[in-house]
Amino acid sequence: MINVKNLSFYRENRVVLDELDLQLEKGELVLLSGSNGVGKSTLLQLIGGVLKPTSGEITINGTDISEMKVKDQALLRSIAPQRRIFTLAYSVGEVLHLLPEKRRSFNVDLIIESLGLVEIMASKVTELSIGQQQRVSLAIALIQEADFYLLDEPFSAQDEDSVLNLVALLAEIKKEKGVMVVSHNTGTHYSQFDREIKLT
Amino acid sequence: MKKLALYLSLLAVIVLLFIASLRIGIIHLQTPLWDLIGKHDGIDATTVWDVRFPRVFGAALLGAALGVAGVIAQGIFRNPLAEPTLIGLTSGATLGSIAVIATGAAAFGSRTNVESAVLFAGLAALLVQLLAPNKGLGFLITGIAISAILTALAGVMISISAKPGVQSLSFWNFGSLAMLNNQTLKIIAPFIELGFISAFMVSRKLDIYSLGENSSHYMGVKPKQIRLWAIISLALLIGPAVSAVGAIAFLGLLVPHIVRLLVGPSHRRALSFSALIGAIILMLADLASRTLFQPHEIPLGLLTSLIGAPALIILLRLRSAQWVSHD
Repeated sequence: MINVKNLSFYRENRVVLDELDLQLEKGELVLLSGSNGVGKSTLLQLIGGVLKPTSGEITINGTDISEMKVKDQALLRSIAPQRRIFTLAYSVGEVLHLLPEKRRSFNVDLIIESLGLVEIMASKVTELSIGQQQRVSLAIALIQEADFYLLDEPFSAQDEDSVLNLVALLAEIKKEKGVMVVSHNTGTHYSQFDREIKLT
Repeated sequence: MKKLALYLSLLAVIVLLFIASLRIGIIHLQTPLWDLIGKHDGIDATTVWDVRFPRVFGAALLGAALGVAGVIAQGIFRNPLAEPTLIGLTSGATLGSIAVIATGAAAFGSRTNVESAVLFAGLAALLVQLLAPNKGLGFLITGIAISAILTALAGVMISISAKPGVQSLSFWNFGSLAMLNNQTLKIIAPFIELGFISAFMVSRKLDIYSLGENSSHYMGVKPKQIRLWAIISLALLIGPAVSAVGAIAFLGLLVPHIVRLLVGPSHRRALSFSALIGAIILMLADLASRTLFQPHEIPLGLLTSLIGAPALIILLRLRSAQWVSHD
């Protein structure tokens, strides 16, 4: 379980998150919603360990992440950032093989197919559309073997069909894992989510 | 398969260039090269083994080091313009070298000289990293500024030093293989070999790092650690090179661009090919520098600039898609 307890985060004396509590368990697909600027992405960066909380704690499977090595954190949770910048012209296939084999999910084929990447495996990531790049970015995160998956705004550049496919994929993944999707607009596709956490 | 064939062809080119460079020079050999193997007496043997061999071997080794350093530098700063010269390493190494020679602490070509160059190169890169704002072109601009300061300091030290062994500004700024001998090679080779091993070990992580610092962290690769490791590799590759032959321009910048064009962006693959292509270019440049205007020798760095800079412009225009800048 990811357990966020009493978490506060201040940026330059401005309160971004104030005494927040939330949990994500295995077997659930959770929507984290809230308008722009309420700190959704910040929360993900805190859970991901790139930002340090002002106060409070974040534990994954009982261990405080501040006591874990970066390498060990990555074995427990995987995060797709809102925007991933591809600077080098790797092929999609190459970029999905950056992690060593033993750290890759056994669901790789399903992930690649559900995200519609089969036809573009040989294309260069730098030459893809924004929507395609976003799907590659999601694939990178979902392929990383972990207990929990946190995706920041995964639908923002996707059309209706892609969103449906992605939600179906996440529903499949959550059978064994915990999944949290951060999104600022709660549309009609979200009946498959087990619950919604609203940040205000 | 195609890449293996390319790799073997490049190796063959190196062997041919090696033989040609041993044969060609101001002194025309009277004895076939083959007959000189194992011999150390006579003008021909001395010319080949004591004069030409260290130059040729040095050109191959240092060319490989500069090529590999270019890949690591561009990878770690995620910028196609990053090269050891631009980010403070070269000027750091120059200052480190000159400081110990000018103060009389060590002689040119000595181990202490090399160690000081490695140390100063690493410190310069760390200083740049410490001072640079973590966004946009801040890194490169800070690197250029620190380089200018260190180069100026090195220049001042040369100007006020009474030591004749400190070499000229031209040597340090434009590079020359003329001073290389077997003794110096024996001293610098182990450092560079360590640099190769360290660079190779960091290369796979650089692929992950290329996705961005946060992404890298999320995937279990600590950005700070990888930068430090890369800087140590760079110092081990650049320090010895600069301490022995001065600054050689453009190689570290040009080679990775050629390599990515040939074999794509994967850092591990790029490293092995950069070593070969860097070696070939520097061997060719050295051959040209000592044969084009005989008996005059052109400083090597001038030649690599004259060839490298236009080649880089052409490459960038050909293949802008190999690297996307988001600055």
